[in-house]
Amino acid sequence: MKGDKREEPEPGPEPAAPPPPTEEEEALLEFHHSYRELFQFFCNNTTIHGAIRLVCSQHNRMKTAFWAVLWLCTFGMMYWQFGLLFGEYFSYPVSLNINLNSEKLVFPAVTVCTLNPYRYTEIKEELEELDRITEQTLFDLYKYNSSNTLVAHARGRRDLRESLPHPLQRLPVPAPPHAASRVRRSGSSLRDNNPQVNRKDWKIGFQLCNQNKSDCFYQTYSSGVDAVREWYRFHYINILSRRQDTSPSLEEDALGKFIFACRFNQASCNEANYSHFHHPMYGNCYTFNDKNSSNLWMSSISGVNNGLSLTLRTEQNDFIPLLSTVTGARVMVHGQDEPAFMDDGGFNLRPGMETSISMSKEAVARLGGDYGDCTKNGSDVPVENLYGTKYTQQVCIHSCFQVNMIRECGCAYIFYPPPRGVEFCDYRKHNSWGYCYYKLQDAFSSDRLGCFTKCRKPCSVTTYKLSAGYSRWPSVTSQDWVFKMLSRQNNYTIKNKRDGVAKLNIFFKELNYKTNSESPSVTTVTLLSNLGSQWSLWFGSSVLSVVEVAELIFDLLAITFLMLLRRFQSQYWSPGRGRRGAQEVASTPASSLPSRFCPHPASPSSSPPGPATSLALSAPPPAYATLGPRLAPSGSTEASSSAHTPGEP
Amino acid sequence: MAAGEKIKAKIKKNLPVRGPQAPTIKELMQWYCLNTNTHGCRRIVVSRGRLRRLLWILFTLTAVALIFWQCALLISSFYTVSVSIKVHFQKLDFPAVTICNINPYRYSAVRDLLADLEKETRGTLKTLYGFSEITSRKRREAESWSSAREGTGSKFLNLIPLLAFDKGETSKARDFRTGRKRKVSGRIIHKASDVMHVHESKEVVGFQLCSNDTSSCAVYTFSSGVNAIREWYKLHYMNIMAQVSPEKKINMSYSAEELLVTCFFDGESCDARNFTRFHHPMYGNCYTFNNGQNETILSTSMGGSEYGLQVILYINEEEYNPFLVSSTGAKVIVHRQDEYPFIEDVGTEIETAMATSIGMHLTESFKLSEPYSKCTEDWSDVLITNIYNATYSLQICLHSCFQAKMVEKCGCAQFSQPLPRGANYCNYQQHPNWMYCYYELHQDFVREELGCQALCKEACSFKEWTLTTSLAQWPSEVSEKWLLSVLTWDQGQIKKKLNKTDLAKLLIFYKDLNQRSIVESPANSIEMLLSNIGGQLGLWMSCSVVCVIEIVEVFLVDSLSIVARHQWRKAKEWWARRQAPPWPEAPPSPQGRDNLGLDIDDDLPTFTSALCLPPAPAAQVPGTPPPRYNTLRLERDFPSQLADTEVPAES
Repeated sequence: MKGDKREEPEPGPEPAAPPPPTEEEEALLEFHHSYRELFQFFCNNTTIHGAIRLVCSQHNRMKTAFWAVLWLCTFGMMYWQFGLLFGEYFSYPVSLNINLNSEKLVFPAVTVCTLNPYRYTEIKEELEELDRITEQTLFDLYKYNSSNTLVAHARGRRDLRESLPHPLQRLPVPAPPHAASRVRRSGSSLRDNNPQVNRKDWKIGFQLCNQNKSDCFYQTYSSGVDAVREWYRFHYINILSRRQDTSPSLEEDALGKFIFACRFNQASCNEANYSHFHHPMYGNCYTFNDKNSSNLWMSSISGVNNGLSLTLRTEQNDFIPLLSTVTGARVMVHGQDEPAFMDDGGFNLRPGMETSISMSKEAVARLGGDYGDCTKNGSDVPVENLYGTKYTQQVCIHSCFQVNMIRECGCAYIFYPPPRGVEFCDYRKHNSWGYCYYKLQDAFSSDRLGCFTKCRKPCSVTTYKLSAGYSRWPSVTSQDWVFKMLSRQNNYTIKNKRDGVAKLNIFFKELNYKTNSESPSVTTVTLLSNLGSQWSLWFGSSVLSVVEVAELIFDLLAITFLMLLRRFQSQYWSPGRGRRGAQEVASTPASSLPSRFCPHPASPSSSPPGPATSLALSAPPPAYATLGPRLAPSGSTEASSSAHTPGEP
Repeated sequence: MAAGEKIKAKIKKNLPVRGPQAPTIKELMQWYCLNTNTHGCRRIVVSRGRLRRLLWILFTLTAVALIFWQCALLISSFYTVSVSIKVHFQKLDFPAVTICNINPYRYSAVRDLLADLEKETRGTLKTLYGFSEITSRKRREAESWSSAREGTGSKFLNLIPLLAFDKGETSKARDFRTGRKRKVSGRIIHKASDVMHVHESKEVVGFQLCSNDTSSCAVYTFSSGVNAIREWYKLHYMNIMAQVSPEKKINMSYSAEELLVTCFFDGESCDARNFTRFHHPMYGNCYTFNNGQNETILSTSMGGSEYGLQVILYINEEEYNPFLVSSTGAKVIVHRQDEYPFIEDVGTEIETAMATSIGMHLTESFKLSEPYSKCTEDWSDVLITNIYNATYSLQICLHSCFQAKMVEKCGCAQFSQPLPRGANYCNYQQHPNWMYCYYELHQDFVREELGCQALCKEACSFKEWTLTTSLAQWPSEVSEKWLLSVLTWDQGQIKKKLNKTDLAKLLIFYKDLNQRSIVESPANSIEMLLSNIGGQLGLWMSCSVVCVIEIVEVFLVDSLSIVARHQWRKAKEWWARRQAPPWPEAPPSPQGRDNLGLDIDDDLPTFTSALCLPPAPAAQVPGTPPPRYNTLRLERDFPSQLADTEVPAES
């Protein structure tokens, strides 16, 4: 709209415009000669409603007062409303959106673990001593006579027991924590007259002490099974950390030994589809379709025929007897670049069963920044990511715990990855790490470490909801040939039949997935719209009106400055100004021009408008006549305006 | 005629059509700027000083640009939805529950049809894996069957031979393992002839399918022989079953009385009559509870397992087809009454000798259709014919689309989906190479090259039952004896004593009677949009709709009419010049031509008056036309020269 205006002056040359073209050239910036003139101009031309009435109706005092009150009222109303609007905006409200999308989905990563960290035969020599002592303890505490001949053997050498720190013992319920030695003594004396003791009054536990044995406490359990398992696990961790560096990865050929058959979308899998890692508790884990696989599996149709189907070996022959109390396999579904926390999100498979897990995807996207407390990629979380994967809250919490562990105890917990140059905990090297660990665990769960506050939620989370169905597999009629076939092809020992195999199907139940996302409920655009509505409602003015006021203020200042300057000049400078100044003073009254301001740096000082300006006051300024001359010396105008603008505001 | 003239004259008199007030565009602009209510414009004209004007032009243009930008943002975000979640507590309709035995047909009933296939499968197992060890009873049966069918050759194996490939031998064979199909090469060894010991796990098994002219073949391999055998068996099984009439198939499958031993619903006893039969090609007879027949839909008054559906299913494991299905149990699916149960895709398995409790939670979703999202209410805007007798769902659409493509490309319909009109199921008597076609098509489908995924839209509203499954041993050790004997007595038609592993208990119930509805509604309405746009207009320029109309009037109608008038005058001039002097002074200077035009300008006022244009624009004397229209160049040169001369003088 303004474009054609600019072009217009071309066809229309200097017209016979209403204001007579007395001044052939308009100055770059003109100022009014007095405040009164300026106000008159402002009152005539302002667009602010109410203000005209207030400032310009000076004839009637009553009216002025009335308008002043009205103006103040509306002014107050408007700013009150503005305050409300800004308050709403800066509270950053969000609205929840639920989108139901349906599209081709990337199949998530699936991790399957054997639930057995090491073959018992391979780790036997390391565990031999521990096992013997455990069995001895079991016999002492529960009169459990293991069929193993080791018991009798160990009984003969009871002194061996002292070689392991933190023995498991029976404690009376209000365990006096200060008298550790007495407890041990009483425990040993009571061990013999076991049957008389009321079971409720006793707890099983083991003692943990700090570096100089000054502070000790008992880690106690109400159930003996838990106590034995936890105690065994504690020692196992120590053995494992000693072994860690030398342990080779076992069972290289997963497709043959652990995974008998693998199909996705009716096509067979190959080595490129999975990667392998070893978990100290869950054994060999195979992650299908993780970020390393060459091309990710996509699901374009739902249903059991279009998912991942695995046949797994769940034989228990060489499980570590005291460590693994469950049999089967553990499976977990997670995102491609998230680590598999088998502890946190696993799912156990029963042997001799076909487990069909149907998934449905759900995504949550939060607004970060001012709208909520979440982190986009974890870079702004003060915890080092030890996993080297995508940020998730679990990754952060585990990393946080590990960092605290290293700081407090001086060694790394074996289930979490260590930072470079830190070794895993072992009581031969760090003899009080157990004490330290359990203390830290306590502090961690009561959030005294601040891990839960430090680790913020990630802004986008994808979860997979799982639900499972079970059926017996293989069926009676088909088991003969199925087992035969597995045994021929996969070296499967047919001995324990159904318990040795499990089948797993994972598939998308539906390709619809729900996205819960947040969006700001007040955006900048709506805020501006609301402000504009309020402004129009109360004042009818606009941003340009504000610019008008700003211009008025600028003009006021400029006029004041010019007047002061003029007065100053006329008082002190005019006598000593010399020839040139006198010439100008002489010429200015003749040319009855309004005062003009030349942009040249020398001009404000050198060319005073002169006292003659007061003469021009009577005549209304005809300056707003034409746009035409503006374009004639376009080059010089631009140059001068650009030279001037820095000083303008 | 006269009347017409009269009316015309009257209209002219009362409603005179005048041109714009200003004769030139510049004046028009000036007039507009002085009189408009839009802020900023007036200042352009009124301000003194070139810089000031320039700044005001910039301010105004910025304000206009901001308005356009903000309004564009407002309009582009108009089609957004807001979501509300409501939770009702009410008496809920019980969904339809479809229950199938995993095994489709009683093996004793279909054995006649499948005898040849079974024999050959066992033969293959023997040759490939050396498997011949079967229980004595079965061996006897197998022997009797094999002796009876001695004469028939191995027609199935000849049609599609099962092959074993040595994976370690060549790199090409390695490709087979990936499951990608490829052209057949000479390296494939036909293991059907000689016994191969598959001790090494390096070997893979598969079969080869060829197209009609056997020019292009594809080999399908499986990492495990179990899968290979099952797939191979399934192919032949579908061929055979495709030729059996539906009535016969229904008879071969389980009856409702056989499958359902006991039934309880909402604390009351029910029986096989409450179930509707539904024949599924791969699962045989399935039974749907509460499928809305007789227009009555049952509902539950309470949540909890006592008030749901409790059934005990009889799963006769002895009658299972050993090669077709390898797991035992039943499948159950919860769906809407008018929905097709896709039991093969999304059913939940139930285990024998177990009580499976399934708790349900109902969620309803309603989406807004076009233009908010691409979803459809019914079949009306989907270009695919429905082959299922059910309401629209994405799954139905995809399957219908695939079946239609199958009929189109391969000439016959796939066995596990309903028949489209005028087609029949594939079998290799009539379509010898349909399997190759099917596998190719399925690959294309999965890779989304058939376009089905693009054609099918999601449904706008759907009900979803979230299921939570829990298991318990059933029957317990102490109750087993009496329970089994009572059930055996109840089930009069089964002549054998029931075993624990023949039964499965199923409980389906609402966890609570809360129903969650997710309803989308438009986030913006027209009123909101208008008020927001009004806010923007007011904020930046204090503009309104009237201002907009004013702008349209001034900048489109008036400016155009001025330009048109100007052009018309020019054309008229040119025409007159061409008419008047033939060609004596053709090559005079441009000034001469201008002078010529100036002479002819005399005609102009008459012409404008004829056009009802303003007779005296800017109150000028009609006789002397303003010379500015034709002597543009001259006059423009002049002031610019003046300015030029003046600028250096000033500076």
